[in-house]
Amino acid sequence: MNLPALPSGSDGVSRRAALKQLALACGLALSASSLSALAASFSAPTDFSRSKKTLLTAKQLELVRALGDIIIPATDTPGAVAAGVHDFINHYTAYCASSAEQQQLLATLARIESAAHDEFKTAFTALTNAQQLQLLNAMEQAQNGFSQADRKGLKQLKALVVFGYYTSEPGATQELAYLAIPGGYKGNFKLKEIGRAWALNF
Amino acid sequence: MEKNIYIIKTQEVFDAIVVGSGIAGGWAAKELTEKGLKTLLVERGRPVEHRKDYIGEGLKAWQMPFRGSVEKALVDEQHYVQKKCYAFNDATKHFFGNDKDFPYSTPKDKPFDWIRGNQLGGKSLLWHRQSYRWSDHDFNSNARDGEGVDWPIRYKDIEQWYDKVELHAGISGSKENLEILPDSQFLPPFEMNPVEKEMKARIEKKWSTRKLIIGRTAHLSVPASHHLAQGRLQCQARNECQKGCSFGAYFSTQSSTLPSALATNNLSIATNSIVHSVIYDPKTNRATGVRVIDAETLETREYFAKVIFLCASTLGTTQIMLNSVSESFPTGIANSSGALGHYLMDHLYGAGAMGRVEGFEEDYYSGRRPIGLIMPRFRDYNEKNPNFKRGYFYMAGAQRASWEQLGTGDGFGAEFKANIRQPGPWYFNLSGSGEMLPRYENQVSLHPTLKDKWGMPQLHIECSFSDNDWKMMEDIADTAANMLEAIGLKDVKKDIRAKRDWHPGLSIHEMGTARMGKDPKTSVLNGWNQAHDVPNLFVTDGACMTSSASQNPSLTYMALTARAADYAVQQLKLGKI
Ligand SMILES: Cc1cc2nc3c(=O)[nH]c(=O)nc-3n(C[C@H](O)[C@H](O)[C@H](O)COP(=O)(O)OP(=O)(O)OC[C@H]3O[C@@H](n4cnc5c(N)ncnc54)[C@H](O)[C@@H]3O)c2cc1C
Ligand code: SF4
Repeated sequence: MNLPALPSGSDGVSRRAALKQLALACGLALSASSLSALAASFSAPTDFSRSKKTLLTAKQLELVRALGDIIIPATDTPGAVAAGVHDFINHYTAYCASSAEQQQLLATLARIESAAHDEFKTAFTALTNAQQLQLLNAMEQAQNGFSQADRKGLKQLKALVVFGYYTSEPGATQELAYLAIPGGYKGNFKLKEIGRAWALNF
Repeated sequence: MEKNIYIIKTQEVFDAIVVGSGIAGGWAAKELTEKGLKTLLVERGRPVEHRKDYIGEGLKAWQMPFRGSVEKALVDEQHYVQKKCYAFNDATKHFFGNDKDFPYSTPKDKPFDWIRGNQLGGKSLLWHRQSYRWSDHDFNSNARDGEGVDWPIRYKDIEQWYDKVELHAGISGSKENLEILPDSQFLPPFEMNPVEKEMKARIEKKWSTRKLIIGRTAHLSVPASHHLAQGRLQCQARNECQKGCSFGAYFSTQSSTLPSALATNNLSIATNSIVHSVIYDPKTNRATGVRVIDAETLETREYFAKVIFLCASTLGTTQIMLNSVSESFPTGIANSSGALGHYLMDHLYGAGAMGRVEGFEEDYYSGRRPIGLIMPRFRDYNEKNPNFKRGYFYMAGAQRASWEQLGTGDGFGAEFKANIRQPGPWYFNLSGSGEMLPRYENQVSLHPTLKDKWGMPQLHIECSFSDNDWKMMEDIADTAANMLEAIGLKDVKKDIRAKRDWHPGLSIHEMGTARMGKDPKTSVLNGWNQAHDVPNLFVTDGACMTSSASQNPSLTYMALTARAADYAVQQLKLGKI
C-alpha cells in the first residue's frame, strides 16, 4: 500500500485533510471525534511563557546579534538575525546553561570587545565587515594573540548560533528541508530531489 | 476510554490482579481478560489516554522555547538521572519518572542509572521498540559455561508465544533463517540506504560468519487488517515516537494491548495506586491480594483476587516482593531460596566504532527511519571468543553528516552556511550490545532506613561491570574498528563511552532479580513464571530473566507473559491454584 506523503504545512486544516486522506488510504473509517482528536494532537501547545529571563545586557545582546549575522548571514534565505537567534541565545542560556557555560559566553563576548579595542580602538560592531572577519578568523585559529581558550570560547558561541538557527523555523524549513510527517522511509532517495540537507526534528 | 473502567475503592474479589501497566502488564491484562478473567490492572502512575495525552506530539523544535532542551533548574531538581537517557527532552519529559519523587540509593563508587516511566503504559510509551527473539544459544548459555543457573525453558517452549505476540504487536523485519536470531512473524522490513547495502556486501564478502541485516522493530511498516481494526495506522517514519504516536504505529500498551483488554469488558483499572506489598495467607499458602497506597492522598486500601501477576518492571516488582514480608517469608514473598534481589543484569552498551565512507554523494534518504541495522551475534557462536565469556551483537547504520556535525567546522558567513546546507559525508557506525553475566553480588535490597514520600522503603542498588564485562567492551570496540578498517572506511574511531559516563542501568534493560530456574533452592520462579513458593503468584517482567542474552529483552517479556497467562488460567480452571 502506497500512502500519500503528508504535507508539512502548519495550518490545522491541511493537516486534518491529510489525516483524512491517510485514514482513507488505510481503509479505516475514523469517526469525526477520533479525527479531531488526531488533529488536536498535532496542534502543538506552545508555551513560551517560560522564556522571560535573559542573560545578556542590551549591549551584549547587540553584540551577539552582530556575531550571528556574521556567522550565518542572510543570503537567498533568512539569516540568524531574521531567525531571532540572538533572542533565543539570550533566553536559552539564562534557562538551560550552567553558570560555568554562562560565564564562558560572557567572557567570550568581553574578549571580542577588548580585542576590537586593542586592535582597532573601537567597538566590534563599529568595525568594517572585513575587520570583523579578520578578528574572528584570528580568534578561531588561535592566532595574533588569541589563545586556544579563546578559540574554545568562540566555538561555544558558534555552536549556540548554529543550534539556534537550524532549529528555528526559517533555518529548518527555508534553509534546510523539513518534513513533519515524511510518510515513510525511502533509502533510494536522490539528493537532487531536494537539493539540500534535511533538518533534524530536534 | 470509558471512564467507568477506572475504580478506586472496591471489595470485589477479582479473578486476577495485574500490577503495572507497561509492556508486560499490558500483555497480562489482555491475555487474562480475553480468557474471561475479571481483571484489575493496578498502576502507580496517572492515566495516559491514547492521542489525548500525547502533549508533546507534533511539536517542532521552534515551537519549544528551548528547542527541546529542558530548563537546567528543572533537570537538576527533578530529572538528574532521567536526563541521561537519549530520549529525554522537553516533549517527552512527562513520560519519564521524576527522580525527586522516586529516590533510590547506590554505593558512591557504583552508580546505577535507573530510567523509569511511571504512568499508565509505563515504559511502553518510551521504548525504542527493537524486537528480537532469543534463540536456544541464549537459553543454553548458563548451562554451557556454568555462570548462573540453567533456564528451565528452551526456545521450543516459547516459540509459539513469540508467534502470537508478534502477530498482534506487529514486528517489521527481514526473513534471514539464522539459528542465532530466529525469524519473527514479520511485517515488511524497513529499507536500507545504498551505503548500508554496500557495507553489507563488503562485510559479508569478507566474513561468512557476520551478517548485516535491517533491525526488527514493533512498528507497523505495513499494517495488517487486524492492526487497522485496532485503529492503528502505518508508520510515517517521523522517529519522534517517544512523544507518543496518534497513528498507533508503534506498539505500546495504549495502542495495542489496552484496547484489546478493554474490548472484553473484563478490565478495571486502578491508577494512582502504588502497590506496597502482596497480601499472603499462610493457611492456604496463597497470595490473596495487594496492599496499595494512594499516590495522591496517601490513604491505604486493599484489592483482592485469585491470581496475581507482578509486572511492575524488574526493579519495581522486586521492590514490592522484598517489601512483602510475613512470618512465612521474612525476607520477601516467595524468597525461600534467598535469590530474590540478586543477579541483576543490564546490557553492555557504550562501546563501538565509526568511520567515514567515501563516495555516494548523490545518494540520500527521505524520512527518519525509526530503526537501524544490526549484526547478529558471532563472537561465542560461529567465531571464537578471545578472553571472555558470552558475546554481543552490533547495532549499525549509515547516515550523512548534518548541521550538528558540520556546524562545528571553522569559517564564517555565506560559505559556512552554504556548506551546511548540503548534507556532509556518509558515516557508518557499529555499536555493541553485550551480554552481562548474572552475578550474585549485583543486587538490590531495601534500604534499612530511607523511604520515599509515600512511605515505601527505597531500593538500594549495588551493581557494577565485571572484568568479563570490560573485556567484552574492549573486544566490541576493537572488533568494530578492525572491521571498519578492513572494509575501507576512513578516519575510523573507536570509543568506549562506558569508561566515562555509561553506568549499569542506562541501557534500560535491567533484569534478573527474581530469576526462573528448575531448583526452588536457587531460583524464585519456575518455568511458567510461577513463584516456586506461592502457586498463584506470577512474575512476568524482566525480573524473571535467568540470563541476559544480548538482544533487547521486551519481546521476550511479552511472549513469557502471554505464556504464563495461558498457564495460570488453565491452573485456575483445574482448581490447582
Ligand atoms: C528510551 C528507551 C528505549 C528502550 N528501547 C528498547 C528497545 O528498543 N527494545 C526493548 O526490548 N526494550 C527497550 N527498552 C526497555 C523497555 O522499555 C522495558 O524493557 C520494558 O518497558 C519493560 O516492561 P515492564 O512491563 O517490565 O516495565 P514498564 O514498561 O516499566 O512498566 C512497569 C509499570 O509498573 C508500574 N509500577 C512500578 N511499581 C509499581 C508499584 N509499586 N505499584 C503499581 N505500579 C507500579 C510503573 O509505573 C509502570 O507503569 C527501552 C526503554 C527506554 C526507556
Ligand atoms: S515513526 Fe512511526 S511510530 Fe514513530 S511516531 Fe512516527 S508514525 Fe509513530
